[in-house]
Amino acid sequence: MTRLGGRLAALGLALSLAAFPATAAQAVPAGVQAVQEPAEGKRIVRLGAIQAIDSMNPFLAVRVISTSVHRWMYAYLTTPDSKTLQPSPDLAESWQASGDKLTWTFKIRDTKWSDGTPVTAQDAAWTLNKIMTDDGAKTANGPAVENFESVTAPDDRTLVIKTKQPQASMLELPIPIVPKHVWEKVPDIGTYEAERYPAVGNGPYIAVEHKKNAYVKLMANPAYWRGAPKIDELHVIFYENPEAANVGLKKGDIDWIGRLAGPQFQALAGDPNIVQWNTQGRRASYLQLNPGAATADGEEIGDGHPALKDVKVRQAIHYAIDKQALVDQVQNGLAVPANGSIVPPMYKDFFWEAAGDTRVTFDPARANKILDDAGYRKGADGIRTMPDGDRKLEMRFSIHTEDPIEDKLAQFLTGWLKDIGIQLTTRKLDSNKFTEETGSTALYDIAISGWSVNPDPEEVFATHLCSRRPTAAGEGGGTESFYCNEDYEKLYRQQLAELDRPKRIALMKQMQEKLYTDAPIIAVYYPNNLEAYRKDRITSITPIPEDKGILYGGSGYWPVYSLQAPAGPAPSDDDGAGPFTTAVVATAAGVVVVFVLGLILTARLRRKGDDDRE
Amino acid sequence: MTAPIEIEPAAGPAAGPQEGRGARRGALGYALTKLGGALLSIGMVVVATFFLFRLIPGDPAIAYTRDVPLTPDQLALLRRQMGLDRPLPEQFLDFVARALRGDLGTSYEYRRPVAELIGERLGPTLLLVGTGLVIAVSLGLWQGTRAAWNHGGRLDRFSTGISLTLWSVPTFWLGLLLLMVFAAGVGPIPGIFPTRGMEDVDAPDGPMYLLHVAHHLVLPCITLVAVVYAQYLVVMRSSLLDEIGQDYVTTARAKGLRDAQVRRRHAVPNALLPTVTLVFLHIGLVVQGAVTTETVYSWPGLGLLFYEAIKGPDFAVMQGTFMVLCVAVIIMNTLADVLYHVLDPRVRSA
Repeated sequence: MTRLGGRLAALGLALSLAAFPATAAQAVPAGVQAVQEPAEGKRIVRLGAIQAIDSMNPFLAVRVISTSVHRWMYAYLTTPDSKTLQPSPDLAESWQASGDKLTWTFKIRDTKWSDGTPVTAQDAAWTLNKIMTDDGAKTANGPAVENFESVTAPDDRTLVIKTKQPQASMLELPIPIVPKHVWEKVPDIGTYEAERYPAVGNGPYIAVEHKKNAYVKLMANPAYWRGAPKIDELHVIFYENPEAANVGLKKGDIDWIGRLAGPQFQALAGDPNIVQWNTQGRRASYLQLNPGAATADGEEIGDGHPALKDVKVRQAIHYAIDKQALVDQVQNGLAVPANGSIVPPMYKDFFWEAAGDTRVTFDPARANKILDDAGYRKGADGIRTMPDGDRKLEMRFSIHTEDPIEDKLAQFLTGWLKDIGIQLTTRKLDSNKFTEETGSTALYDIAISGWSVNPDPEEVFATHLCSRRPTAAGEGGGTESFYCNEDYEKLYRQQLAELDRPKRIALMKQMQEKLYTDAPIIAVYYPNNLEAYRKDRITSITPIPEDKGILYGGSGYWPVYSLQAPAGPAPSDDDGAGPFTTAVVATAAGVVVVFVLGLILTARLRRKGDDDRE
Repeated sequence: MTAPIEIEPAAGPAAGPQEGRGARRGALGYALTKLGGALLSIGMVVVATFFLFRLIPGDPAIAYTRDVPLTPDQLALLRRQMGLDRPLPEQFLDFVARALRGDLGTSYEYRRPVAELIGERLGPTLLLVGTGLVIAVSLGLWQGTRAAWNHGGRLDRFSTGISLTLWSVPTFWLGLLLLMVFAAGVGPIPGIFPTRGMEDVDAPDGPMYLLHVAHHLVLPCITLVAVVYAQYLVVMRSSLLDEIGQDYVTTARAKGLRDAQVRRRHAVPNALLPTVTLVFLHIGLVVQGAVTTETVYSWPGLGLLFYEAIKGPDFAVMQGTFMVLCVAVIIMNTLADVLYHVLDPRVRSA
């Protein structure tokens, strides 16, 4: 039924395209082939995804795969620049902030939805207001509009957003703007599946079919304002199992996989058709050191080791960690050792790297000296005790169950900490329990965590604010460290209101330095972004940022928009080409086998009948 | 030989006691008792499910919103939506009332009714596991019969050995191996099967669609059959071995019946009984899908749904699939009990 619907939808789309040849031709810049020659087949790229779509409704979808597909279907107000990652025009052609930094005025681009309806500021105002006023619409992007006072559209080209507090990250709203004329008819956004195709959008691609837990089929949007993409179709194909996806890539069932795990990436080495894409990633992996957890009201909670309240102990632990060894041994070299904090080096502008005296190197002797000087004496067993008592420095290291990488990391860490007189025991927790113990109840000493950072890193900084600690009722607020520092808070508030980019970056670097020296968390490495694609199927793709950036899973639509692929085989009378013929042959063979078996069985039964008559 | 040839010795089950009205009432009573037991079990499953899934450590609202920044207000809203803000007894009553109406709650991950998600996945699972079960049962019973009849022989050692080897192979490993060899192709073996799922983009329409799905079904089905058919083989083999020594078999032989006739008409029907239980038990488990097989081949069935729910964690889906699985097993067990009553007079007289 859905499939048939998809077919009809595609047909409808094709018809509507045929009906407006002038529009299509106009929108396409010179040199780009919009409609393929009848003689050759379609240019199709198939992306393998190890995650199924949770929802096609952009108000509900939270998985990376879904938000990525929505980025390709709907325009956002701004998009990261392909070179600098700075906010650049998308649906908003230009923008301006008022003197008091509380009012933002966006000029909305004069373009069309894929059904031909003009895009206006009303669409953007409706989308944002919906999220602000309808609880059901808050699921995906509720926090992003938390600070909004009002959103209005005084005319079709002008969008005005008033905020309660200054918000420097305004230019990176993660919200797809949807067509008001389609979505206002939806009775309940919170339960709406949005499975109508072709979906009306204004991004580079139009979703024309979604088979749940199997695939999404997207077609190039010929009316896209930047010009239609250079391929005809983009298929997103779901694999549950990464190894199976690898087999699919090697065989050519898919053309591209993003977000590979290390072993999966390495298994693809040596295949002449496959390009292994190994670049700096979006993520920082760090250790959390319980700095004396408390609720947002300042009431102590949890059972963190008292020694960790002492910044000297946390710093000593930092000196005891050989990050290069972790990269080599735990990550097989597919990571960068962290000499900074929570922002990975991929974000050149925001990345802060420790230098000179601040820089912590692997130096167990120094770690021992710091602890000796601070009065933590080593006992006969080599384990230190608290200066003012006899509690030993015996700590827990919380990791996730069945994660071989964290397991390995725990072995190294245990050895290094033993050298400085701290006894570490590994505590394996299932992810639920882990989140609870390290995020709200604070039943940890040292734990492992990490965060994927966006081109505007504000959110990752917010995870170390006092207000992110749980409430008195124990409600989690999303803290990543139970950190609470007045200087850090002040810097955070300053950057919120700082609309001058270089100045804001300087503030954010100070915050990273603060986290680095105070060490409520210790960044250990930045895992690389690992991907792979077939060079016979993808002839060109531009990463974001263009200089050795990410292909899948980055912000914006640049890589997918830049895709180029050779034309497939010319369409023949029958639907699919090679694989399908094989399918028919294989199945026919199966049928023949069953038939022959049936014959033999029947013959035997008949013989049995003869026996009976004897 | 002085074989007492008197009357045709009928196979056991056919020679039941005379059935009168009393017996029929007994049959009805038997069925009602079994049905009552089943209903009681289902009730207990509902209760157990509710409390079992509340015992899982961690707050579902927090688990669900891991890595998603939320204000306390939004967290409270989510709790309200999930019904977690109400007292436990109230939640329980609500849960029971809903379950009776067939409402299994709403998935946090998909924002859709769990019953709907399960319904969506039921078809692919029934196709895969149903096909697999039919093949596995046929293959197992056939091979088991052969093995028992020639027990100790080369055929017995060979088929039993092969099946037990496959039985001990991890499904995951076997699935991946088949995938690498027959889907991707190794050396001279061409990769002729798809690497994932039940259908591809642009699948053909009409009858060709059935072939398309059948093509996708081959590898998952082989994996499933290879791993489970040994159970039927072993059960059939041992129960037939029990029958071979029976007097009625000797009688049948003595009558001068051919070997194959003795096997097919006398020994096998009696030996089939224990396998009936096994088969029905497995039909119940069909609903669960084959978690591992479905995971390896990205088959969009219930097993995959359950696996994803655990990864989520999506408690509503875990709870819903768990309950559906339990109820299916109970229903099938009850059916097996009733069928036993029909098939085996010894059960009736007991």
